[in-house]
Amino acid sequence: MTHAAVDDEHGAGRRTPSPIARHRRNTELTLVVMAAMITGAAYAVAALGTNAEIPPGIVVFVGVLLALLLCAHIVVRLVAGGADGTLLPLAAILHGVGFVMITRLDDRLAGLQATWSLVAIAAFVLTLLFVQRTTLLARYRWVLFLAGAFLLLLPMAPGVGRTINGARIWVSVGPINFQPGEFAKLAFAIFFAAYLADRRELIAARTWKVGPIHLPEPRYIAPIFVAWGFAVVVMVGERDLGSSLLFFTLFVVMMWVATERVGYLLLGAVLFGGAAWFSWSQFTHVQTRVTNWINPWDDPLDKGYQIIQALYGLADGGLLGTGLGRGNPNQVPEAQNDFIFASIGEEFGLIGATAVLMSYILIVGAGLRIALRTERTFEKLLATGLTTIVGVQAFIIIGGVLKVIPLTGITLPFVSYGGSSLVSNYILLALLIRVSDSAARRLGELPDDPTTGERWTAWRLSRQIRRDEKRGEQPPSVTGPVEVGS
Amino acid sequence: MNRAIRQLTVGLMACYVVLFAALNYWQVGQKEELDAKFDNTRAVLREFNRPRGNIVTEDGVVVAQSLPNTTDENLDFTRDYPTGDIMSNVTGYFTKDFGSTQLERTHGDVLTGSTAAQQVRGLGDILAGNVDNAGSVELTMRYDAQLAAKFALAGREGSVTVINPQTGAIIAMFSNPAYDPTTFVGQPFETAQQAITDLQNADGNPLLANAYQERYMPGSTFKVITTGIGLEAGVLSRETSFPDEREWTPPQTDDPIRNYNGSLCGGDMATVFRRSCNIPFARTALELGVERMIDGTRAWGIDEQLPIDLPRAATSTFGNVDDLDQQLPLLAIRGFGQSEDQMVPLHMAMVAGAVANGGQMMKPYVVEATYDKAGRVLDRTSPEVWKTPISPQTAALEREFMIGVVESGTASCCLDLAGGIQAAAKTGTAELGVASNPDLSHAWIIAFAPAENPQFAISVVLINVQSTQDVAATGGRLAGPIAQDMLDYLLSGAGAR
Repeated sequence: MTHAAVDDEHGAGRRTPSPIARHRRNTELTLVVMAAMITGAAYAVAALGTNAEIPPGIVVFVGVLLALLLCAHIVVRLVAGGADGTLLPLAAILHGVGFVMITRLDDRLAGLQATWSLVAIAAFVLTLLFVQRTTLLARYRWVLFLAGAFLLLLPMAPGVGRTINGARIWVSVGPINFQPGEFAKLAFAIFFAAYLADRRELIAARTWKVGPIHLPEPRYIAPIFVAWGFAVVVMVGERDLGSSLLFFTLFVVMMWVATERVGYLLLGAVLFGGAAWFSWSQFTHVQTRVTNWINPWDDPLDKGYQIIQALYGLADGGLLGTGLGRGNPNQVPEAQNDFIFASIGEEFGLIGATAVLMSYILIVGAGLRIALRTERTFEKLLATGLTTIVGVQAFIIIGGVLKVIPLTGITLPFVSYGGSSLVSNYILLALLIRVSDSAARRLGELPDDPTTGERWTAWRLSRQIRRDEKRGEQPPSVTGPVEVGS
Repeated sequence: MNRAIRQLTVGLMACYVVLFAALNYWQVGQKEELDAKFDNTRAVLREFNRPRGNIVTEDGVVVAQSLPNTTDENLDFTRDYPTGDIMSNVTGYFTKDFGSTQLERTHGDVLTGSTAAQQVRGLGDILAGNVDNAGSVELTMRYDAQLAAKFALAGREGSVTVINPQTGAIIAMFSNPAYDPTTFVGQPFETAQQAITDLQNADGNPLLANAYQERYMPGSTFKVITTGIGLEAGVLSRETSFPDEREWTPPQTDDPIRNYNGSLCGGDMATVFRRSCNIPFARTALELGVERMIDGTRAWGIDEQLPIDLPRAATSTFGNVDDLDQQLPLLAIRGFGQSEDQMVPLHMAMVAGAVANGGQMMKPYVVEATYDKAGRVLDRTSPEVWKTPISPQTAALEREFMIGVVESGTASCCLDLAGGIQAAAKTGTAELGVASNPDLSHAWIIAFAPAENPQFAISVVLINVQSTQDVAATGGRLAGPIAQDMLDYLLSGAGAR
């Protein structure tokens, strides 16, 4: 970006339209409206199924929903016009289905979840507005690392930490409970993308010889061990197996993608296996999970009850589902949370549950496509990390519900009840959209206009220059403060 | 890096393929197995969370209904039986933990609105914002007649069954002992379990309706059948006459057959029928022979499950017929309704009904019609002939004999209907042959009235009765007054229409 270009754009005062960007935004708009309509219809059907009456506030509901999503869409149109047009609608439909399901399961939760939805969309918008350049994130890598570590360990702090349902993953500040781990995963993904973007060659070089094995310099691979240590600490201290698995998978995948060395996958598997075996042999709650996974019918009324009821619900739903509001998903404890996928399978059937799986597949596909399209290493790794978080987290909990892997409590992104999860996932979505837009601009699909912040800086500088020129002094260098890209 | 990202894409997709496979495994592959698991309550819960329609008697009394549930958070509705034990043997019960029976089971689809017809018709209602699609069932049975039957039985073990002989519609069918479903439906689990267990162990098995789910030795009421077979086969006629005798020894034995109380009995057909002599019917059975007796009883629907529109109906039987030609004395005794003959009380009402209806035995039914939510008829039962055991001529002749029973025979004591209405009847006293208690009997009467224009056919049975000083334990003396009460009530009393 040259000084002249900045000056030109400043003069124009608005962004140049591009056919590709317009096409993507119009696709997004259509899909977002469809998502809102589907959600509205599902909301009405669910109320019909449970109370035999169309909810009185249906028009208001659809109106507010549409307003929220359109607000998000307009912000994307304004500040990330080149981004992929499917991510926001996919999140919207998952969010909508989840909201309808939560309302149907327990209408007392509806108000809270609606408030959190509002906060989540606000967080999405603010993230897009504040993070207009991905480099901003890379710049704060160490701050984010410390913040992530702090957040991860916060629930273990006396006073604020809370244990709910056996897992110490909550923090209470005043009336608000939240799960800092949901935000820590974002911080770590950004940190790792930035760290590895700097050092991937050094780590891949393997200059350190231990006997016949070539290893990278210890100081370069230290972070993965620190991360592994963190995962173990989380696993042990907070009894949160799902999050540990997610964090660890994230680190290993990013190491692997950064270095392209499969060895990291193997190393990661061995380390996690070791940790898992250790905790299995040391902790009864881990043993219970494994036993339950192998045969929940050993203890069908107590420990196996939840998963058994989930499977009964899935079977009862069958191909087409019982119909919204017509099943009994409340038989499953925590149906609105970890087990919401079972509720969806019960009432929407195989068809609806498959649609949810497809949505995640499409998000994963779109996210990794962004990683492939972008040319910058940091953005590649960031998109990979963020996508991995969504894809793996959904896999861990759906796999647990479907008895594919041992059940570990973790939320289903965009769908489960819970503010921390919803807000953090919308921030994640905003970051992915930001990377996507950045890639499109880099590829020349739309003009890489300066951001508002850059225009402000440019304006300030040009005024300074004019003032200095009047005084007949030499103009200062402008390359420093106007940092555009990396 | 792009290579690794592509591999990661493939890896994550593979993970989701596994999830998709697992989803199919549980929702399709294992569906039936999971649905059938003993502790899977999904199907029952779904039923309980749906409004369920009423079962209503012919005279408009609601005998089964759903009320909003106020005690159990998981269930939206609870089932209620406002008439207690009066209709329970027909409605059955509908419970979460102990299953459902009778009409509650067989007509559950109508009551919940899930028949195909209701779903199609209900579509408009659902679009109009109404998902309560529950249908209702209207019975042929009259609540007032049930009450009259319960009153007439006065707590004695037995049953009263009244049918319309022209249609087969059941008007009353009350069995003692009966049960009150509200002792366990809608009760807390432990209370309900105890109540059910008590009912299962109770004397007389109240959970089974002895009117149509049990069978008893019919005694002399069976002579209507033997007479019908004999007349149809040409072995008997109005003119047939039997010698006066106290006892008669059939072939293959030295044991003589005696009349009731060892009395001297004989005469023409009308007389032996009216006086209910045993020996003439024993002789008739032997003259007919094994083959014709078996075929004859089959023609009356014996050894075939009663085609009533209720589950678990009993089957009347002529007994074991293997090698019967080597046991002719048994054949002879079965000719007058003893030994292994066992008749379902409802079936005996149908026997009277066949005579009343010119020889046509109608299919018995309790469901008059089913309705959808809006009150439109889904299905109305059309009367059907089940068996035609006798010709109209034979029926007319048997009617004559049965009128004789009332006028001057074994029922002359007790079936003199009010208003001069003529009844036709046959009594039966089935001696159970218990060595320690030789008097123990089932007291029967079957009848229809008015004799010339039959509106009601009835069977009454009192089970395990004994003579007292005042009243001999005979069908006429014990069951007769009950039949009289019922027929009077229905024809000329408060229940007359």
